[in-house]
Amino acid sequence: MSHPVVERALREGRDALREWEAYELCAAYGIPHPRWELCNSEEEAAAASLRLGNPVVLKVSSPDVLHKSDVGGVLVGLRGEQEVREGFRRLREEVARRAPHARWEGVLVQPLVGGSAEVVVGGLRDPQFGPVVMVGSGGVLVEVLRDVAFRLAPLDRAEALRQIQETSCYRLLQGARGRPPADLEAVADVLVRVGQLLLAEARVRELDLNPVVAGPDGCWAVDARVLLDRSGYTS
Amino acid sequence: MAHAHRPAPEGLDAFFAPRGVAVVGASAEPGGPGHQVVAQLQRTHYAGGIYPVNPRATEVLGLPCYPSILQVPGPVDLAVVVVPAPACLVVAAQLAARRQQRGDAAAAVVVSGGFAEVGDAGRQLQDQLVRTLRTAGIRLVGPNCVGVADAHVGLTTSFDLGPYPAGGASLLSQSGAFAMSFLQWARPLEMVGLCKLASVGNMADVSLTELLAYLAHDPCTRVVGVYLEGVADARAFVQTAARVGQDKPVVVLKPGRTEQGARAARSHTGSVASPDAVYEGAFRQAGVVRARTVSEFYGVVRAFERLPLPRGDRVAVLSAVGGPGTICVDEVAAQSHLRLAHFSPRTRERLRAVLSDLAAVGQPEGYVDMTGALVARTHGDALRILLEDDGVDAVVLLTPPPAFLEEEEVARSVLEAYRDQPEGRRKPVLVVITFGDAALAARRLLEKGGLCTFEFPEEAVRVLARMVAYARARERLRS
Repeated sequence: MSHPVVERALREGRDALREWEAYELCAAYGIPHPRWELCNSEEEAAAASLRLGNPVVLKVSSPDVLHKSDVGGVLVGLRGEQEVREGFRRLREEVARRAPHARWEGVLVQPLVGGSAEVVVGGLRDPQFGPVVMVGSGGVLVEVLRDVAFRLAPLDRAEALRQIQETSCYRLLQGARGRPPADLEAVADVLVRVGQLLLAEARVRELDLNPVVAGPDGCWAVDARVLLDRSGYTS
Repeated sequence: MAHAHRPAPEGLDAFFAPRGVAVVGASAEPGGPGHQVVAQLQRTHYAGGIYPVNPRATEVLGLPCYPSILQVPGPVDLAVVVVPAPACLVVAAQLAARRQQRGDAAAAVVVSGGFAEVGDAGRQLQDQLVRTLRTAGIRLVGPNCVGVADAHVGLTTSFDLGPYPAGGASLLSQSGAFAMSFLQWARPLEMVGLCKLASVGNMADVSLTELLAYLAHDPCTRVVGVYLEGVADARAFVQTAARVGQDKPVVVLKPGRTEQGARAARSHTGSVASPDAVYEGAFRQAGVVRARTVSEFYGVVRAFERLPLPRGDRVAVLSAVGGPGTICVDEVAAQSHLRLAHFSPRTRERLRAVLSDLAAVGQPEGYVDMTGALVARTHGDALRILLEDDGVDAVVLLTPPPAFLEEEEVARSVLEAYRDQPEGRRKPVLVVITFGDAALAARRLLEKGGLCTFEFPEEAVRVLARMVAYARARERLRS
């Protein structure tokens, strides 16, 4: 039995979760993420930003947009009601112009999470090995740098730490260029939990937590993408 | 024939310890593969029964030849089949009948090609072959393979592999040519001792994973070398490797690092998860020693077969030559798994006493340059001192050996120092003979005496680094 958000997506004929659905799935497996509110108007967004704290991030929510920043669907570091309202309008116009056919489901408002290092965490069902967990560096440039390491799930925290040490994100997390060292154990814990998620959620095909922002006191998935396997699905 | 009275071997033992071997398709005339297999079995002094089978011959190499497997008188646990692919189905049916009637014939090696590797028609033949054998409870290695060997009992199903020095290295290979090349390459200087060999060919029945699990319990096997192209049960393979790795190293050479995979990915993870990258992670997790090159595979398998595992990562470099010594020290420093040793004051003192005043001790740390001012014995004297230092876990020794010294004397002095370490407390010594095969006598003596020789300093250091990495992984796998 899949998690309810996965079930619903499959029932609705989708092969990807919405970002906030992905957060709900992550939360069920103990993977931390920043709080979020889905807002349908600039008033709602402004009110949400007061609750969530300054500064905030706005992201378009649409089942048709997989790469949000490619369509101008992400605004980062907005402070105060005025900036949030303006941001909301700008984001809606930009997305309408660059992705006119995308269904509009509102804007996700989240507090901006600061940290000392960013890593990429991923998971997938490999045709040969089954559930596999990935860690690496590079953000959206991960395909260019290919600085990644894989492990089969399940894995424990010690194994996850060795996995992290195989890529240069280890040095980033240790605090490169005078930054404070990040919470390595917390990142390792996310890898362990991604493994658990893949083992338990047979319908999850691929998963990106990109980036996971890590600071001295923890780490958070600040973007999440979950792709589903619909093969043979009947509700 | 003492073999005949043993009880029937169980499971895969039928391949490696058969009471008798039938060679189906052995011709009377030299030249054919079957004839050659019989000849090799005779040369290896295989102690079980050897039964050529061929309806068109009465005698092969002085042995009576039987029209079919059904007429073979003694117990025959293993059949080596070298007839053309379509005829293999007939042979399989006869094997099945024999197994039903006599209870032996539990294992078959089908050497012949012409099966799944040639396309759909061949695949159908292969499926039928497997079905016939499986139904009768007969296990199959192959088809399209060199088959199996055990150097300890003189068993071979290969027309290439005759008598071979017996030892602790077992090889599993998805390419007969790869395994055979390693063995033939190492043969002149006897650089590796063979335990069991299995070339699995199309792997229609017995798989690499099953063989690997089997070797875990084989007391003669000290290291398993695997040439892996791809397996259907990749996860089971690495899980088995992790289990085997608790006791003995599993060394894998796997090509395919350039494959990008045909994944149509919409996620970052999917697009960077090349098949090889995932294999790499799985190997590391399982403590598998992945060789990067053919020469590294040879070197690592040889070292594990002969040498004790290092108990730590502190390396001493002992050199009779400046340049190669410096290159060696460089390579040690470059290896994340290795550290240059820190000599104790007593070690420094003892070294100075046996070396010339020109020698450099501990400059840089961990390095001893004996310089050219030495006699043959100096090699062994200095080596002994280093091995007795508790701060040294392994020694890389470099020597040409110099032409003004008796090379066999150099080798003997090195061997003596190595062997004088109490068994069970021995440290690995990797010897780089910089003159290579120009110092053949020294190399041969060292190899025979249980040490590993190399031609290039970096090669030896990389092999040592893999040994240290495995020793660490083994701790983890055992805990």
